[in-house]
Amino acid sequence: MTQPGRIDRGRRAFLKNAVVTAGAAAMAPLVITDRTIAQTRTIYVNTWGGSWTAAEEAAFFRPFTEQTGIRVRTVAPVSYAKLKAQVQSGNYEWDITAITQAELLRADREGLVEPVDWSIVKKDKLFPDAVYANGLAYCAMGTNLVYRKDRFPLGGPRTWAHFWDVQKFPGNRAMQNHAVRTLQFALVADDVPPDKVFPLDVDRAFRKLNQIKPHIKVWWTHGNQSQQLLRDGEVDTMVMWNARASELQRQGLPVELVWHGATITRSMWCIARGAPHRKLAWEFLQFAVQPKPQADFSNRLHYGPANPEAFKHISSEVARQLPTYAENAKVAIQPDTVWVADHTARIQEVFAQWLAT
Amino acid sequence: MARDLSAPAVRQGTARGRRSHRSRAIPWLLIAPPTLVLILLFVAPIGYVLLLSVADPRPSLAHYQRIFAVPLYARVMVNTFLTSLVVTGLCLVLGYPIAYVMARRNNWMSTLLLTVVAMSFWTGFVARTYAWLVILGSNGPVVAAYQALGLGRAPTLLFTTFSSTLGMTHILLPYMILALFGVMKKIDPEHLKAAASLGARPRAAFREVFLPLSLPGVVNGSLLVFVTCLGFFVTPVLLGTPRDMMISQLINQQIEELLAWGFASAVAMVLLATTALVLAVYNRFAGLDRLWG
Repeated sequence: MTQPGRIDRGRRAFLKNAVVTAGAAAMAPLVITDRTIAQTRTIYVNTWGGSWTAAEEAAFFRPFTEQTGIRVRTVAPVSYAKLKAQVQSGNYEWDITAITQAELLRADREGLVEPVDWSIVKKDKLFPDAVYANGLAYCAMGTNLVYRKDRFPLGGPRTWAHFWDVQKFPGNRAMQNHAVRTLQFALVADDVPPDKVFPLDVDRAFRKLNQIKPHIKVWWTHGNQSQQLLRDGEVDTMVMWNARASELQRQGLPVELVWHGATITRSMWCIARGAPHRKLAWEFLQFAVQPKPQADFSNRLHYGPANPEAFKHISSEVARQLPTYAENAKVAIQPDTVWVADHTARIQEVFAQWLAT
Repeated sequence: MARDLSAPAVRQGTARGRRSHRSRAIPWLLIAPPTLVLILLFVAPIGYVLLLSVADPRPSLAHYQRIFAVPLYARVMVNTFLTSLVVTGLCLVLGYPIAYVMARRNNWMSTLLLTVVAMSFWTGFVARTYAWLVILGSNGPVVAAYQALGLGRAPTLLFTTFSSTLGMTHILLPYMILALFGVMKKIDPEHLKAAASLGARPRAAFREVFLPLSLPGVVNGSLLVFVTCLGFFVTPVLLGTPRDMMISQLINQQIEELLAWGFASAVAMVLLATTALVLAVYNRFAGLDRLWG
């Protein structure tokens, strides 16, 4: 018999085990086990939804399944928080995600990213700079100033200073609910030279943002939402991802996108550390960074392929619309990845508070 | 205890003893699976959230202090409370006459109203929220009507406090009407006739007899709407402005954007405690078992 008050370790451990076992039994249908992997050979990819996922289906998922028999399932939207939650809890909803280079650096520092499996990924099949912080380069994404030409018959806003000028360019405005990019645009609007934007002068950026805040009708969060706002005519000029704007152009909407002062961020594939299908996931990523699938993706959704070889399969007409096109890249700003990774957490918190006050 | 009870049973014969054992066990067997489900899927996760709120990243009550010390977060709390009060009040003012007509008339009108309310109740609230995006949008019927009447440029309707309050009121109105209807339907019409026979005019009969008898419905409906509104998320996100942030938006922002799980857990616990407090007050004065009539 144990004395009252004394910790009965054996019994505690038994109880703990019993609870864990009962819990595992109850959750069994929800959790991916080794057996279900062997049966299905399926990988789960975290994606943005809408036209982004549609382009991925056509360029990566279907061809990959045809070639290997491995099925691909998608989960939207992309969530950095879920990456952290999955790795910490050991419950995986997806194996692969695509995040920005700065987010990847942050995730890799926090140990949330699976190290590159060099037994599957072949170095000689990769292009230079393909690997960064245990992720593989996916594409270059532009975030641009976009406006509807029919709402600005005398010419729309061509710079961020114009976007800030609500007298000369009246109209409804929207921006992305994204701290770093928004601060960056504010500094460009405040006449900071492009090469001096980073490191961001946060105080100066917020002072400039206070001027435009009352005129921003919507702070959007999803790509589909941004397209909806412009398509419905709810907004006349806004911040938008370049490929989403190009898509609206192809649909016949009178949309103009501005490369001057746009920002180009690199999107990176990575695998959640300890993800159950990581071996299959590396096989998929090896496939996804090859020239042909990369080109197929960029032809459908006009983000720039990370693999330079992909341009062999891209017409010059499409290439001109990509963030990688020299004329576009020259006037756009590439964020300082390390600085952003170091400061994102703090800036996001201040920005979230600023937005709500 | 079991041994004491089984002793006479053994003396009287084993068959009966077994039966009494079984009848004793059956309620426990029936109650065990739902209890287990509640503990695993409800009590345990909430316990984990409570733990996170005081232990992530290190053990302290700092998260709770921060909720009330940072003006923005305190304002979100107050705003959530006030918004819920306004929505509850609007639902009551709009819902009471409708429920009254539904309960007092026994003709096609009450059937029609009940059908409309029930259909609204069963239509997904995301769909109903999106409907407001269309109705109040720049190319929507409200703005068109405004211009057709020659009133000039319509005011901004969408993405304002007005539109999000309107959307939440619309979504919660059926709860209020059905709660009121359930109570009003049980009020005996003879009471009003008796009041009239004693010389009360219709208005006095309503004020002195019907209204007090319908008060349980008012309390039930208000509670349902208020508590549901406290945790509203999608509608204020889609129709409102970042300035009118509600508690659940704050929780989502802390988790999704800032990865501040400890703080988000603390905010969630405050929301839970507030809800429990409201329910406890109700239980003290009305009894939770009467909530659905």
